[in-house]
Amino acid sequence: MTRRTWVRLDNASNIFLAARTESDTKVFRLSAEMDAEVDPGMLQEALDAVFARYPLYRAVLRRGVFWYYLQDSDLRPVVEPERRPTCAAIYQDGRRTLLFRVIHHRRRISLEVFHALSDGTGAMWFLSDLLVEYARRRYPAGATDESGRPGEQGDPSASLAADDAASPDTPDAAAEGAAPPSHALETDSFAHYFRRRRPTAFQEAFAEAAAPAALTLAEKAVRAEASADGDTAGASRTPSDADPDRPSRRARIHRVRGTRTPDGRTRAVELTMPASQLLAASKASGASPTMYLTALFMDAVRESSGGLGGARTMSASVPVNLRQFFPSTSARNFFATIRVEHAFSPDGAEAPEEVARALEAEFRPQASAAALAPKVARFIRVERSPLLRIVPRPLKDLILGWLNAASNRKLSLAVSNLGRLRLPEPAASHVRRVLFQVSAARPQFCAISHGDQMTVTFTSPFTQTGHVRAFARSLSARGIDVSVTAARVTEAELEEVAP
Amino acid sequence: MRRCTECAVRIEGNWSRCPLCGSHLVGHPSPDPLPSVPLRFSRRRLLRILTVISLVLVALSFVVQLWLGHRPSEFGAVRSVWLGVCTMWLVALMALRGRRDLARSTLTLLVLAALVCTYWDYLTGWHRWSLTFAVPIMCGCAIIALVILEHVMRLEVGEHALYSALTVLLGIVPILFLLLGWVTTPVPSAICVVLALLSLALLQLERAADVRDELAKKLHV
Ligand SMILES: [Zn+2]
Repeated sequence: MTRRTWVRLDNASNIFLAARTESDTKVFRLSAEMDAEVDPGMLQEALDAVFARYPLYRAVLRRGVFWYYLQDSDLRPVVEPERRPTCAAIYQDGRRTLLFRVIHHRRRISLEVFHALSDGTGAMWFLSDLLVEYARRRYPAGATDESGRPGEQGDPSASLAADDAASPDTPDAAAEGAAPPSHALETDSFAHYFRRRRPTAFQEAFAEAAAPAALTLAEKAVRAEASADGDTAGASRTPSDADPDRPSRRARIHRVRGTRTPDGRTRAVELTMPASQLLAASKASGASPTMYLTALFMDAVRESSGGLGGARTMSASVPVNLRQFFPSTSARNFFATIRVEHAFSPDGAEAPEEVARALEAEFRPQASAAALAPKVARFIRVERSPLLRIVPRPLKDLILGWLNAASNRKLSLAVSNLGRLRLPEPAASHVRRVLFQVSAARPQFCAISHGDQMTVTFTSPFTQTGHVRAFARSLSARGIDVSVTAARVTEAELEEVAP
Repeated sequence: MRRCTECAVRIEGNWSRCPLCGSHLVGHPSPDPLPSVPLRFSRRRLLRILTVISLVLVALSFVVQLWLGHRPSEFGAVRSVWLGVCTMWLVALMALRGRRDLARSTLTLLVLAALVCTYWDYLTGWHRWSLTFAVPIMCGCAIIALVILEHVMRLEVGEHALYSALTVLLGIVPILFLLLGWVTTPVPSAICVVLALLSLALLQLERAADVRDELAKKLHV
């Protein structure tokens, strides 16, 4: 019997445990739609091959007195047909299960991940490798590339490079070409290193892969500081270290309300559009794609709510991938959120393009290394504060839950753009489109693109789709070719297809 | 693929009306890329609410006993039956909750049963049958059960080792009953303590490092 390797769960991940509810499970999903029906047997083989290279994904979550921690396990993932609603709960208190699942339906392969394990970028690495392995098995003719070893499929920076790294807001995952260090492990490391009595290379790999991104970064920063006397400390006290929540404006934040879905599942509606058309429209407006979409979203909510009523300020939280500013190879959570808001005028005469420019002006200065460094520094300070360390875990959960609820009250929407996923061959030519969605406490969209297919998936705890309708109509009014996929969630919708 | 002329969008899947605006669609349906998952209502939430309510009721009814008189003459058959039912209910709930982790649920059950017995003894006039017989016998049985389980089922070390250790430590507590003269006959307590010390020695030999490791993990600051 082995003694398990374990790593304490960092605060960024802890928040997902504290904030999780029955309808907002803090699970996110990345899917790829293939050009043919998925073969479950080959998918399982592909999963086995990829799983062996990602020690982090072996982790189960356990509870200690003061912290949650991730612990290595012997569990093996099994691909399953899609039988649950999207983003169904993965972690249940006290149960030792893997924190991700791989499911398939018709042409789609989906990876669902509990957010405490990894963020969208980390999951993109996993999905990308999974798709390559699957495509190799499914289309053997295309599997004749030079570096035949699956453990080392070429240069990860080439495989996942961001397309337009020029726009700082698209938190393109792999902007830095960073891949988990475990990539370097030999393919057979699982068989070779596993089940030994001494701390094995595999266990070390687990500990390294599971270490919080911010802390590994902090250690690097400390080392850099020692060598280059206090450069980073200086950076963390830039004038932009103002309170990010800007309590100055006491505007009433508009909050979207609606009817909850009958069994608390997430309502997801996917819009697919040509990425080139959307990029052209956003370029014409003078804003980045994320802010352009956010502006359209705010405008759609304004329209579907019948003009906002008294609370005319709408705010959105936008996660930014920190790896593009602070190179890190960790697949753990490593992002900061930026909050933008816009006060709509009572006459409602602003065009979304104007709103987009205003949001862009608010967002861009916040999305820079200099502005984000203090945030990261604060994460690390809180993480290491002696007071917080001795607070028992249930109390921590409670406090984090309150903090989260308080910041929720200041948010109308959430948006997340993973940018462009560049898949290596042979996967790239067999994947039609990729999709990204998150369980939601409020109306939200997640965008991702692959090739010329961009998908914007709206999720919401409510059954209403008025804002999606307004959003889709304003896209089509701008000449963008939109196609809609929706899952059935209400009794009436499900009755239509009931056998 | 179908089309909604009102929204000017294509609709994938076999919707007969637009999922966004409800208008009729034109064109032919395409296969739905997403499954239609039937509604499922959470029985778990209902169960959790019922559990909490029943625990509150049991706790209240235990407290009420204190006001109803303590002498054996005042403690009728109805109250005995009621306490028995409550205890069984508690034990059943705990066993259900902890069924995934044997060592942990054994420990919880042991603590729970010991407390209830002592309270019952106190209510019925403090004849000390709880400390003399019930608690040491239950402790001893728990220790034997865990030792057997560990060697038969070859459970994974970790949490299990920690809770076994705690159970064994609890088994040494009856030495206090002996020293303070709280028992009417010393035999059960003595046997229990000897059993606990023996298994502690065994544990020390086999699992001390595991227990330390697990404690370090649980208490990591
Ligand atoms: Zn429509």
